[in-house]
Amino acid sequence: MTASANVSFDEAQDESPDTPTKQRTEAILERFHEEASFDKGHDVRLLLALWPYIKRHQLWFWVAALVIVVTAVASLLTPLIMRDAIDQGVLQKNPDRLMRGGLLFAGVIVIEQLLTFVQMYALQVVGARAMADLRLRVFGFLHELRVGFFDTQPVGRLVTRVTNDIDAILELFASGALNAFGDLIRLVGIVALMLALDYQLSLIAFAAIPPVALTVWWVRTRARGAFRLIRAKTARMNATMNEQVNGMTVIQAYNRQQAAEAEFDEINLAYRDANISSIKYDAIQDAAIDMVQSIALALIIVALGYHDATFGTVVAFSAYLTKFFEPLSAIAQRYTLLQSALAGAERVFRLLDVRAPDAPARTTQAPVGNPDVALELSNVSFAYKAGVPVLDNVSLAARRGEKIALVGPTGSGKTTITSLCLRLYEVDRGVVRVNGQDVRSMGREELRTKFAVVPQEVFLFPGTLAQNISAGRTPDLTRVEAVLRRIDAYDLLMKKQGGLEARVDEAGGNFSAGERQLIAFARALYRDAEILILDEATASVDSDTEARLQKALEEVIRDRTALVIAHRLSTVRASDRIIVLQKGHVVESGSHDQLLEQGGLYSVLYELQFARQHPAS
Amino acid sequence: MFPYTPTDPGRIPVKLVAQFKRHKARFGVGLLLLGLYQVAQWWFDNHFMSAINAATSGKDALALNLGLLLVVVSLGAFVARVLSRLVVFNAGRIAEYELRKALLYRLQRLGPPFFQRMSSGEIMSRVTNDLVQVRLLLGFGVLNVINTPFALVSALAVTLPISPSLTLAALAPLPVLIIVTRSFSRQLYTRTLENQNAIGAMSEQVQNSIAGVRIVRSFALEEQELRAFSRTNQQYLEKSLALARLRGSFGPVMQAITAVGVLVVFWYGGYLMLENELDAGGFLAFYRALGRLTWPLMSLGFLVGLVQRGRAAYTRLAQIYDAVPDIVDGPATPNPAGVGHLEVRHLSFAHGDTPVLDDVSFTLEPGASLAVVGRTGSGKSTLAELLPRLLATPAGSVFLDGQDICDLPLAHVRKTIGYAQQDAFLFSTTVCRNIGFALDEPDTEAALLNIRDAAKRVHVLDEMLALPDGLDTIVGERGVQLSGGQKQRVALAGALLVRPRILVLDDPLSAVDARTEKRILDAIDRERTQRSVILVTHRVAAARRCDRIIVLDEGRIVASGTHEELIARGGIYARFAEEQRIQSELEKLGQAEYPSLGPELVNP
Repeated sequence: MTASANVSFDEAQDESPDTPTKQRTEAILERFHEEASFDKGHDVRLLLALWPYIKRHQLWFWVAALVIVVTAVASLLTPLIMRDAIDQGVLQKNPDRLMRGGLLFAGVIVIEQLLTFVQMYALQVVGARAMADLRLRVFGFLHELRVGFFDTQPVGRLVTRVTNDIDAILELFASGALNAFGDLIRLVGIVALMLALDYQLSLIAFAAIPPVALTVWWVRTRARGAFRLIRAKTARMNATMNEQVNGMTVIQAYNRQQAAEAEFDEINLAYRDANISSIKYDAIQDAAIDMVQSIALALIIVALGYHDATFGTVVAFSAYLTKFFEPLSAIAQRYTLLQSALAGAERVFRLLDVRAPDAPARTTQAPVGNPDVALELSNVSFAYKAGVPVLDNVSLAARRGEKIALVGPTGSGKTTITSLCLRLYEVDRGVVRVNGQDVRSMGREELRTKFAVVPQEVFLFPGTLAQNISAGRTPDLTRVEAVLRRIDAYDLLMKKQGGLEARVDEAGGNFSAGERQLIAFARALYRDAEILILDEATASVDSDTEARLQKALEEVIRDRTALVIAHRLSTVRASDRIIVLQKGHVVESGSHDQLLEQGGLYSVLYELQFARQHPAS
Repeated sequence: MFPYTPTDPGRIPVKLVAQFKRHKARFGVGLLLLGLYQVAQWWFDNHFMSAINAATSGKDALALNLGLLLVVVSLGAFVARVLSRLVVFNAGRIAEYELRKALLYRLQRLGPPFFQRMSSGEIMSRVTNDLVQVRLLLGFGVLNVINTPFALVSALAVTLPISPSLTLAALAPLPVLIIVTRSFSRQLYTRTLENQNAIGAMSEQVQNSIAGVRIVRSFALEEQELRAFSRTNQQYLEKSLALARLRGSFGPVMQAITAVGVLVVFWYGGYLMLENELDAGGFLAFYRALGRLTWPLMSLGFLVGLVQRGRAAYTRLAQIYDAVPDIVDGPATPNPAGVGHLEVRHLSFAHGDTPVLDDVSFTLEPGASLAVVGRTGSGKSTLAELLPRLLATPAGSVFLDGQDICDLPLAHVRKTIGYAQQDAFLFSTTVCRNIGFALDEPDTEAALLNIRDAAKRVHVLDEMLALPDGLDTIVGERGVQLSGGQKQRVALAGALLVRPRILVLDDPLSAVDARTEKRILDAIDRERTQRSVILVTHRVAAARRCDRIIVLDEGRIVASGTHEELIARGGIYARFAEEQRIQSELEKLGQAEYPSLGPELVNP
């Protein structure tokens, strides 16, 4: 398949008769949509990897384990109680004995149920807490990974790791895989008790076990197949429906309604049929327990005519036989859940195995530069993708308090420089220094708290306006107000309903582009960091907002070192020095007037980009 | 066993009552089977009593005969029970299947206004959750509605002859069972919902945090993010444990209630036996029959909620079934001598209360090309969608070969007027299937040749062949595996493959570089003898190649003519041209060679 992609068309044609294209495409689609959800991840190592998370809550775990044993034993008692109640109460017509039996019976059942609850809930507590810990670990881990990792990973997939995959592991506890031990105890206990009660009758009864056990196992296996099929088909059916709804215009424009219907119908039908076959197995299994009980009872009644046993024993036997098949069926079901939980665990632990730490501090001290230079790139080269250099041997420096404007055509490497200052990516060669210190020798937080960043695309978090300005810290409202007043945005933003507590929708959808910019400036001021990095937005705004933004900018860069990717003339004019970048090189450096006079790239850029914006102020 | 599903999904009955009636044969058989099952149960309990009494009084032969009969009846009951479930539950599944099929059919006939009212998320929630509720109503619900009275009668038929007073005493705690189940089922529903919401909130938070990862890192907000996540995580933990507690408590509570019934039977039954009003067999039969009643009574509690939720769910589904398609086939027969002459006469259009187009008129001769230029929001995309009636085109405004397109069959209009959108939508299938989307047989040799040819014409073939599986590579949901430009070109290849008389291109190359765009437009131009082109674009370089250009502003045509005429006239078009000239100068500048400065020259 892979090979045919690169061969010439003629060869591909020769190949097609024995591999019909349609079948091949269908196979590819099938694999893509359905098998992806069933990674085979079957490993004791995965369970061991889960243990540290469970260990923290192991008290509950051991409680559950103990209670499981007790419950299993309790459930073995009820037929014995029943036997005594019948033999000594019913047959002897002794109401006291009968009543005592009744009380015992009811009591044991209620206790058994209560213990089942304790056991189930204890397991759920262990599981849910352990999984909450694991979830927190995975989320934290994601924020320890370097930014480059996210350039290649679809967000949705990572969300799935934190949510669905961990929930699949939780099912292991919810369904009680641990109960498999209880199931085993029951099975062994039932056989032992039956033999102890009446070994002759037991041997007759045991003759019935293999065929019934095989049937249960067979039905369960088939049911498991149907269950998997249903899960796969459900996922594909919903995905297809969702896609068709979203692509409705395309379907209508190409008049493909019928084809789309046919495609969906195939999946819809497969889904229906998978469910219908599952109904069959469920119904058989559900009714079988009833039937086995009745038949066992009938057979034992018959045997009673030829074999001397008390009637109570007979009833107890029938009860044991019924109880025998319940754990058998449960074990089969638990195995299915174990598989899907392990598949989830495998995906989660594979993510946790990724080794791509974000900006780890190095112990070896790099040579220290001039501490009066706030920001320095020294012979820096960098590429996002090997072989496609973005920065090539770039050197630049900003003295403390200096305001530098970065200017250059699209793709010249301006934004990359700002990312490297924050060490969002690692340089390939050269050194980045902050206050003379190699950024690699600093802690991640130590480094990044020195900066305030205003990105080109302002990112607002859902929450309140004040929370967005305080950038995650608990907002100090007086300070938020002061900051907004300093950039002259207070009156404007107070018009929003809720004032400082105004709700910010996802991605800040309820704020205009200009307002979002102002919020980003306020955020930078609130942070009050030594160095400001500003990537100016290119979007055009009305002249009123323009004036506000200009004023805000001046306020934000006052008294601090600033590195500004400039798109506005006023910004360029407000800087101390302009550095012109092109194709990853620094080509010019100097003041606005110097560079214009020089008549190089800047003067061309000025003509094209800035000169027409506003009359020079 | 399966009812005939009409080949035309438009004829599938979608009313709840109609769907119920559709399966009345199944429900009838189900009724019969459940009746049989309960009769068998009744028979078993009665004769089981005699068999025990026979066996314990030494009548071995009678006991043997009765025992064998009991085995046969058990098997019969088993078969009846399995079949009853097959018959009735399958009805639910078939109804679900048909209703889902009908749902898609209706959705495909609805226009954009509907999808603006109901988001795809809402539609999906109806297709998944609401449909499940309706299915439960028609399957599980019906089965239990039939079974519960039967079970009651069958059990009472055993217990009443044994002892009316014991029956009354034993049944006393059972109404509590119904009430408790009812409240349990209601709480289960709310807690499940809360649990789902909690996990939804968590997903959203993770999503936001990852989408904003650069900001989180730039501002060193990892700690805060972790704390915020920890809170959501804790909430989900609590919700899931609350759900587990409720689920887990159901068993003990039910067993406690039934245990009261058991105690009553043991106590009062013992008394009756002492009075010789009850024998051993009778006692056991009574006990067994009582046990059979527990589940049917519990299901009554579930049923109430099931019916309520099922009906509410159906109401939500009906919002889709009852939506009236606003774009439907016209009655006229297409002019067979049609050459693809398009005329737009005084076309005005509004999205709700917002006017979008105002009195737009133009003509497109076969083989001609027309560019539509304007700012974002000038109405040019709406115009493009109105031509093939993807929006509700007003009657009497667009004419194809002299016929109003509203009078023509939709299939004809859309086949004649091809359309490619700017926001290319790809399906998560192979590259090949995406390009051959419009083909009935995308897998034949001839089709493959056509697909490759179309890919070549839009200059995407080599890039696609370089993918891991070549043209068989799956492009992922909405084409995530491809770049923006690749997506647009793949979608455009699909539009070219249809070979419409008139091709409407709504800025389909906005993410493609100017040079490739030029080559693609050259390829489209070469076929102009067979097809006229309407090119909606923001690029002057692309517009100028067209025979005529119309400039839209706020829904009105403000200028029209050739590139040179429009430049000469000044106005929006000339401004666009100037801005784009600067843009391309800047791009060229990015590629120019300038010597780099040494570090000593850069730094102060």
